[in-house]
Amino acid sequence: MWKKFYAWLDERLGLNDLYKATLDRPEPKGNWWNTLGSASLFLFLLQGVTGIFLTVYYTPSPDHAYDSIQYIMNEVAFGWLIRGIHHWGATLMVLVVFIHMLRVFVTASYKYPRELTWIIGVGLLLLTLGMGFTGYLLPWNQRAYWATTVGTEIAGAVPFIGGFITRALRGGEDLSALTLSRFFSAHIWMLPALLAGLIGVHIYLIVKHGESAFPDRED
Amino acid sequence: MNEEQKKQIHEKYQRALQKGERFWPDSIYKDLVVSFGIFILLILLATFVGVPGEPKADPSDSSYVPKPEWYFLFLFKFLALYGQLPVIGKVEWIAAVLIPALVLIGLFLLPILDRNPRRHYSRRTLALTIMAVFVVSMVVLTILANIPLTADENGRMTLPTRLQLWAGLFLPAAVYILLVLYALLAKRIGPLTGRLQVWTAAAGSAGMLALMAVVLAIAPAPEVAESRVAGTLAEQIAAGQELYALHCVECHGDDGTVTLIQGVEGLEGTVVSPINSQDVMYTFTDETLANIINYGQQSLGMPPFGKAYGGELGPSEIGYIVTFMRYSWDDRMEMPAEAVVSLPLPAPGEAPSYDVHVQPILQRYCVSCHRAGKENGGLLMTSYEETLTTGDYAGRTIVAGDPNSYLILVINGTPITDPATGEVLIRQMPPTRLMPPEYIDVLTRWILAGMPRTAEDAQAVSPTP
Repeated sequence: MWKKFYAWLDERLGLNDLYKATLDRPEPKGNWWNTLGSASLFLFLLQGVTGIFLTVYYTPSPDHAYDSIQYIMNEVAFGWLIRGIHHWGATLMVLVVFIHMLRVFVTASYKYPRELTWIIGVGLLLLTLGMGFTGYLLPWNQRAYWATTVGTEIAGAVPFIGGFITRALRGGEDLSALTLSRFFSAHIWMLPALLAGLIGVHIYLIVKHGESAFPDRED
Repeated sequence: MNEEQKKQIHEKYQRALQKGERFWPDSIYKDLVVSFGIFILLILLATFVGVPGEPKADPSDSSYVPKPEWYFLFLFKFLALYGQLPVIGKVEWIAAVLIPALVLIGLFLLPILDRNPRRHYSRRTLALTIMAVFVVSMVVLTILANIPLTADENGRMTLPTRLQLWAGLFLPAAVYILLVLYALLAKRIGPLTGRLQVWTAAAGSAGMLALMAVVLAIAPAPEVAESRVAGTLAEQIAAGQELYALHCVECHGDDGTVTLIQGVEGLEGTVVSPINSQDVMYTFTDETLANIINYGQQSLGMPPFGKAYGGELGPSEIGYIVTFMRYSWDDRMEMPAEAVVSLPLPAPGEAPSYDVHVQPILQRYCVSCHRAGKENGGLLMTSYEETLTTGDYAGRTIVAGDPNSYLILVINGTPITDPATGEVLIRQMPPTRLMPPEYIDVLTRWILAGMPRTAEDAQAVSPTP
């Protein structure tokens, strides 16, 4: 029965081809350091899931952002756990992505034919940091407010267009409700969409070229 | 890279695949183990470390020292150190824009810039040593991020500041220059180049770490500003009650019923409406109450309490007071059971102690006026020593074992008068309404027992053990 059902599905979805192309691939002998890329992906998905749960109660307005997080932490069932995982997940994601990058650098896996994989990977690192920067403001507490004030001020140091960048980030001269809604929108829609897209390309390239082998003396 | 080299790389990779494993299940098993381990770690962190509390954003509090997320600290410190440099330090965009942009472009274009076809670490000393020094300097900058940069009275940098500049800027810069120089002169230096690069990088890193250790040892510890953050509703109400006792009680009384202010400098005899009535509670929203505390109602005599307007309270603290008022006085709200905290009372026959019984009473009813900066006859009550030793009538206010101590008399409603002129020296306390009898009893018994400070002191003087 199951076999028949599977055959029916396979005929229409091409499950066997998919399995051969993505899962049943030969690989050079692995190493535990090679797991950091998939760990980054796992953290991205986890941040996505916990983040979606957080948006149920979070309100991106200066009047209510702080209180809505207090509510999540104290009143919502397991809200503290979801927020705690999201908070520490961000820290860990930056750390894991960074160590993953170092590993790729040390084993020189960015060399031919995987140059593009590296370049997209640097983009992913920047987007991850961007997620950290925009997410930091959302609790609308003292730390968030003043760190973002300084952070957006630093962008103002760019010659000629610095003032424009700062105003564009803040949505005005000072941090306000507009800044919060801009950061919120960037944090939950723009950056994650870019991240997801680039992760897709990154993974396609990995499947296409295969995981790199650890270099030996001849390499 | 020519076609021949590319072909070699592909052939070598095919050989590695022959000797290798399958993605499913060999490799994915390791991935799952690591991801699951990370998941468990996150749950542990969320449960046992949690998310540190922070007060609500206060745009008016410009004294707040901004701190970015930890993974930006190295950049933050780099900018701060760079700003200390003479002349060039004033050109902010070099450090804030140019250098980070160059590093990023270098990172993006690494596969193109790095034209060395070799992959084994022994053939890539330049790339690896530069990256190693870069990572060490990031770590050093991150750890030093909280150490302040200070100048002495002549405006010159102090020793810890200069050492930080060396550890975070000069030393790494010198090492990068040396490493590149070796690579450029590789033909002249010969086979020693690689070893020279490794030793320079190692010595530079060790020097940076050593300087960092010295700075940590001699630099003044950074000030950590403690701000109380109430999480649960019960904590917020408790925090609100403490703040109310400190800032509001002197005019509005401990329960908001006062209609005629007495004993407050500048506001003596001012008529106020009670703030605990249902009229107020039903018609004033939380926002209105917060605004009144924040801005004050100056035409009615109420000063502003918000930091932005010269007061002492931030938005979180004003919010706590409003929550306390709402839950205490609004008959539509029910005080959560865990928020009801009655002041501890000693058992009959037990001597009260300052720490356990007296301090909370003083805190709630007296400190609002009896603290520095208020008109209070010089009597301050914020600590044990102050309570016993300060005041215009110190020596008669609190006298061990004396039922005619001024304090006992005034809290029982007997003013102290000058026997010659009949002038009132000290009015009843608190001026508008006496405390509940059980608290008067605690203070009386405490003085009669000789003002024991700790619970042990009190036990020693208790008549019945």
